[in-house]
Amino acid sequence: MHEMGIACSILEAVERERIIHPGCRPTKVAVRIGRFAGVDGDSLQFCFDAMVAGSSQAPLELHVEAAENDELDIAWLELDELEAIQ
Amino acid sequence: MIHPIERKVLSENDRVAAGVRSRLEIVGTLTLNFIGSPGAGKTAFLERTLQLLPSGTSAAVLTGDIQTENDAIRLARHGFPVQQITTGGACHLDARMVESHLWEWRFKEFDYLFIENVGNLVCPTSYDLGEDGKVVVLSVAEGEDKPMKYPGIFRKAELMILNKVDLLPYVPFQPELACEYARTINPDIHIIQCSSLTGEGFGDWMAWLERRRIAKRHFSPNHEEAHLQTTFV
Repeated sequence: MHEMGIACSILEAVERERIIHPGCRPTKVAVRIGRFAGVDGDSLQFCFDAMVAGSSQAPLELHVEAAENDELDIAWLELDELEAIQ
Repeated sequence: MIHPIERKVLSENDRVAAGVRSRLEIVGTLTLNFIGSPGAGKTAFLERTLQLLPSGTSAAVLTGDIQTENDAIRLARHGFPVQQITTGGACHLDARMVESHLWEWRFKEFDYLFIENVGNLVCPTSYDLGEDGKVVVLSVAEGEDKPMKYPGIFRKAELMILNKVDLLPYVPFQPELACEYARTINPDIHIIQCSSLTGEGFGDWMAWLERRRIAKRHFSPNHEEAHLQTTFV
């Protein structure tokens, strides 16, 4: 129900990672969603894609992994190393 | 390159909530986060509570809604400081909203801070606001099986208010069944049956509140020392 807010939090976290890894571009972020986290994976995917489309963070993919309990964690981030700009 | 993160999605909210909690700890304010469906009677319950607080008690209310100041207007009639948080669409309060409104009061010392969340049994459950405990409000005009349908909040709440019991003669609601379901989800949950209209059950509730406040002051070892520091700095 609050998947848009969750998508915002994920994108903010990705942005923080981008800042602390200069020279890299985030391409995919993985989240783990527990059965009792109160977050629907499909709905989160929809919100995430809608927010990324046309933004400076595009292209960025969301990978959703199912988990137990009420976990709601960012598991990992895939970073592409950019060529040094002359 | 895969970069492991292993951090909660809501870690930023949790960080702000931890800050709010430690400030409220310093001033010794017992903070409760009230969560329930729209229409469960959260505002009326808090109104009655404010009326019954012993004289000399200090309390404040933050009340969350998507739109309107209506609840703040109702609550402010009882002579305590109240602020409305209008989320403008968000279905829950988050720690940053609470923090910014508490700054309006300069984190003043209150005996009680009541936070009335946006009417919703799902999303508010996930957001820590820096409170001491969550109170779930369920009314007898709803279904007995709400605890089974929305287990998250019943699992996290330390107290369930079964509200509007004055309606029991008119509705096919079995309070024992609702309590049984709640205890199935959370065996430790404390339950008080209340009517904000007639005042039934408020003796138990006000006693619980007072006990909880004393327990907090008693068990927060830093309170006296921290309080002295803030007073004399």
